Amino acid sequence: MIESKLGECVFTRVEIETRVKQISTAISQDYVGKRPLIISILRGAIFFTVDLTRSLAIPFDLDFMSISSFKTGFKKVEIEKDITEEVADRDVIIVEDIIDTGMTLNFLMHIMEKRFPASIVACTFLDCPDRRFIEVPVHYSCFEIPDIYVVGYGLDFRGDYRNLLEVYTLHDTSGRSTQILKHMGKGGPR
Amino acid sequence: MEKVSIITLSRETESLGDEIAEKLSQLLNYQLIDRDQLAQFLHESGHDDLDENIDRVKFLIWAKAVREIVYKQIKKRPIIFLGRGGQTIFQNDVRTFHLLIVSSPEVRLKRIMEKYHQDEVTASHILSELDRKREKFLLETLGADWKNPMMYNLVLNTAYYSVDRACHIILEAMANIGVPSLGKGEQQPLFPNLDFGGNRVDFVHPSEEEFARILDFYRIKWLYEPRTFPLEWDNEGNVIEAFSPDFYLPDFDLFIELTTQRQKLVRKKNRKVRRLRELYPQIKIKVIYSRDYMHLLRKFGVEDNQ
Repeated sequence: MIESKLGECVFTRVEIETRVKQISTAISQDYVGKRPLIISILRGAIFFTVDLTRSLAIPFDLDFMSISSFKTGFKKVEIEKDITEEVADRDVIIVEDIIDTGMTLNFLMHIMEKRFPASIVACTFLDCPDRRFIEVPVHYSCFEIPDIYVVGYGLDFRGDYRNLLEVYTLHDTSGRSTQILKHMGKGGPR
Repeated sequence: MEKVSIITLSRETESLGDEIAEKLSQLLNYQLIDRDQLAQFLHESGHDDLDENIDRVKFLIWAKAVREIVYKQIKKRPIIFLGRGGQTIFQNDVRTFHLLIVSSPEVRLKRIMEKYHQDEVTASHILSELDRKREKFLLETLGADWKNPMMYNLVLNTAYYSVDRACHIILEAMANIGVPSLGKGEQQPLFPNLDFGGNRVDFVHPSEEEFARILDFYRIKWLYEPRTFPLEWDNEGNVIEAFSPDFYLPDFDLFIELTTQRQKLVRKKNRKVRRLRELYPQIKIKVIYSRDYMHLLRKFGVEDNQ
């Protein structure tokens, strides 16, 4: 049983800063001589995108996209806010907060591929392969996490906790999250 | 239209028809009867296969024997009848879906070059010879233009589609084919249990319906329980245990099984999935357990309804 109060710390502020800079360096090296178009998927990815792009050593264009969510009662996923930049012949990097089932990224990739980019890759703050059933390529991933519910650094629970600088589990009365974190050598009180 | 028991698949040389037949056979669990399999059945039932000296009369006698064999086989499970003039042999059978696979000469030539590692001139000779043999057989047996699209329910040009994509199109065409002559104003599905997202399906469990809604939301095409995999047989070859995964996602060639049941039943299902993986290693299946499913619902903000 998951409750809405915070559980244990999964990734500290320092761990996140260090890892985001590493990914930023990797992207800077991979895109030397290019000017990628970075598309941040609102709203969860915004915190990650800001930190990621601040450390980039290459020129880039930044745009934002938002898609409708299932819980808001839409029958089909739709683009709520589209990017304004042209995608054709651009090197596109889609930035997500978390990739789990693969359904959202699959939809975004399809949308972008129809706009004829020169290349397209995905960059995510968290990757949860245990929940994946739609196979999607993930090129850059800060952290791989097991199948636990986490919040912070852009990830929310009913709108809360996005602003946390660390990543936490939600309190799990079954103790399952604690056990998994212990196995990872993680955890500890807030 | 009655339920499809026979798919006839006619194809041009190197049009990917054989590959499509194989894949469809896997996807639908239909028995594939190709030239060799048919020859074996004919031999077992005391009939001769067609030889080089073929004519229309010989073909009609042979076709009668083939019909008897096929009608016996479809009592066990539906079949895909590859080539051999199937579109004519079963022309008037209402349980049959007739499929023609074609491709442009340029694409077929390229496939020959790659397949036989030949230059363009040699490949062109090979293709001409293969086309000639096929034309000769069909002209002497059918006595009709086998490429007439009116003979088929679906004609597909694989110059534009991969095998997987072609199979997806065929499945969709079969699932949505209608019978206008019914005059009821509504198209009747060919397979009652073959249904892409968007049409009404009688789900066994509410969790399956919710999952289908999520797939629909993300525009992911799905079929509900489209295929049953035999898992165990008795000494007489009768199927005594089978497994029908809940969903098939044709774009990903992936089966999905939801398990939101009690632990005892989960163990039973896990055993079936293990057996399926042993018997059908080419099949991709993902099991979504109760906990995974609750996470999924929570992500989509619907956990309070469960």
